[in-house]
Amino acid sequence: MEAIRTVFSPKAVAWMLVLIAAIAVPPIVGGYVTSMLILIAIWTIMCFSMNLIFGYTGQLSLGHSAFLGIAAYTFSLITVKLHVGFWPAFLIAIVFTGFVGFLVGIPALKLRGPYFILVTLGFAVIVGVIVLGWIDLTGGANGLFGIPRPNPIPLPGGGTLRFDSLLSMYYFILFFVVLIGIFCHRLVHSLIGKRFIAISYNENLTESLGINTMSQKLLSFTISAILAGIAGVLYATYNAVISPELTHFARGMDVVAYLIVGGAGTMAGPIVGTLVLMTVPEVLQILPYLKTLINGIILMLFIIFLPNGIIGWFNMNLGGWLTSRRAVHGSA
Amino acid sequence: MALLEVAGLTKMFGGLTAVSELTFDIQPGELLSIIGPNGAGKTTLFNLLTGFYRPTSGTITFNAIDITGCKPYQVTRHGIGRTFQLTSIFKKSTVLENVLIGKSLHAAVGVWGSVLRTPATRREERKIRENAREILSFVGLGDKEDKVAGSLTEEAQKRLSISMALATEPKLLLLDEPTGGVNLEEISGLIDLVGKIRKSGTSICLIEHKMRMVMTISDRIVVLNYGKKIAEGAPKEVASNNEVIRAYLGERYAA
Repeated sequence: MEAIRTVFSPKAVAWMLVLIAAIAVPPIVGGYVTSMLILIAIWTIMCFSMNLIFGYTGQLSLGHSAFLGIAAYTFSLITVKLHVGFWPAFLIAIVFTGFVGFLVGIPALKLRGPYFILVTLGFAVIVGVIVLGWIDLTGGANGLFGIPRPNPIPLPGGGTLRFDSLLSMYYFILFFVVLIGIFCHRLVHSLIGKRFIAISYNENLTESLGINTMSQKLLSFTISAILAGIAGVLYATYNAVISPELTHFARGMDVVAYLIVGGAGTMAGPIVGTLVLMTVPEVLQILPYLKTLINGIILMLFIIFLPNGIIGWFNMNLGGWLTSRRAVHGSA
Repeated sequence: MALLEVAGLTKMFGGLTAVSELTFDIQPGELLSIIGPNGAGKTTLFNLLTGFYRPTSGTITFNAIDITGCKPYQVTRHGIGRTFQLTSIFKKSTVLENVLIGKSLHAAVGVWGSVLRTPATRREERKIRENAREILSFVGLGDKEDKVAGSLTEEAQKRLSISMALATEPKLLLLDEPTGGVNLEEISGLIDLVGKIRKSGTSICLIEHKMRMVMTISDRIVVLNYGKKIAEGAPKEVASNNEVIRAYLGERYAA
């Protein structure tokens, strides 16, 4: 009974419908929309990453463009210049990004509130400058190109799973969105997740309960950096070309805007926020350089009028039957 | 041997000496109250004992271990639990989750175990959940575990904050005004709870303003004024101490 109820809860049904739509829509709508959906999927992963450290652990990082960039450049450099295989390169890139996150986190997370935010922003700016300026390594403003797609995966039946079409790339990336979504859901609903949430509510109280808040924040930040790294690798392999624009610190701020608009500290927030804020400018055909400005205005309006985001508002006003508030969880 | 030994403890904020050359101890099983007028340095003392402040000088020894300069979480792991003056709970979480966080230091859980939901992790989570429920029924909140903590009454929130500190399994519990802001009728319930905790073998150090309560439940009382210890002893001795009367009521009332 219990299992049946879990499977058919309104929330589970809603997630299933979203997943079915995500699988079924792209073949119907054609290449242009599919390429948009790929970018939305990649930025959703960035948003999951931001949600972990900001939405659940309460530490606002403006440095996530750096993790995206570090992973994308690491992956591209070792595949293009050193001819490392796709999967080893993928692994090396995200492990390295996680390690950088760990090293940056040690001094940065000792600071609280605005000081932490400023250090992460400074880190993002520095990485952006290095990527642009270290021309011998990164190609400077020209960027890197010829980044490989995933190797074909042989299937047990005899065929192979190839990733040369747009649609196959979409499913490849969607696979990671689902995987990371499940990872985050399980993590934040575990005891470790409860510690993260406790830190976001009251760090001193959490510390007084015998929890090493520094090491927990470092754990959250490192995982978050690795997730951002996965987004970076996926972007590089999809786009085949990367440029310093990817590491611009405004990209990190975009993610914060997506998350707050969607609803920080909710599972659906990253998906909804990214979908809305990336689709609206596209539909309205807004010039690229105005997007950041418009994101900023939307972000301010949300902070003033809907600080809990779309999903947060939804939960509060519709009783949370579809997407759960994090407080209600855990007893199940 | 004393459970807690404080020797020459001093804390200066710039030129202001909040706690000055303080020496006292707490015996196992004892209930020691710290009293004194507002600004006497009582809460500063708690923050020093629990590692939130670093002492300017002096030592704190707990269970024969020097814990001076330990971080707050380390102090808790050594066996000192505390509550805060302004009731500190996670208001948006459920009552049970609050206690689970307090229990969490006793659970060995890792990232992969949590994400893959391995049997070992689930066993660990189940274990501390059961422990947390036991604590909740001990403090009288057994029927409220699914309530959002912020929706509880002030008195129940006090009980919850105490149960969170208890969840860390302290040998010494520091209570900062456990009856502050609570209705008169509800105070006796909280006093009973303090007595019950003590009977279970936990030593207690209490900061309180309600004199009748302090006089009836304390084994010993330490009186602070301007960061200095001005008296120490059994409730009756302290109540008749001239120095104490002067600090509380002014020169005219001292004999």
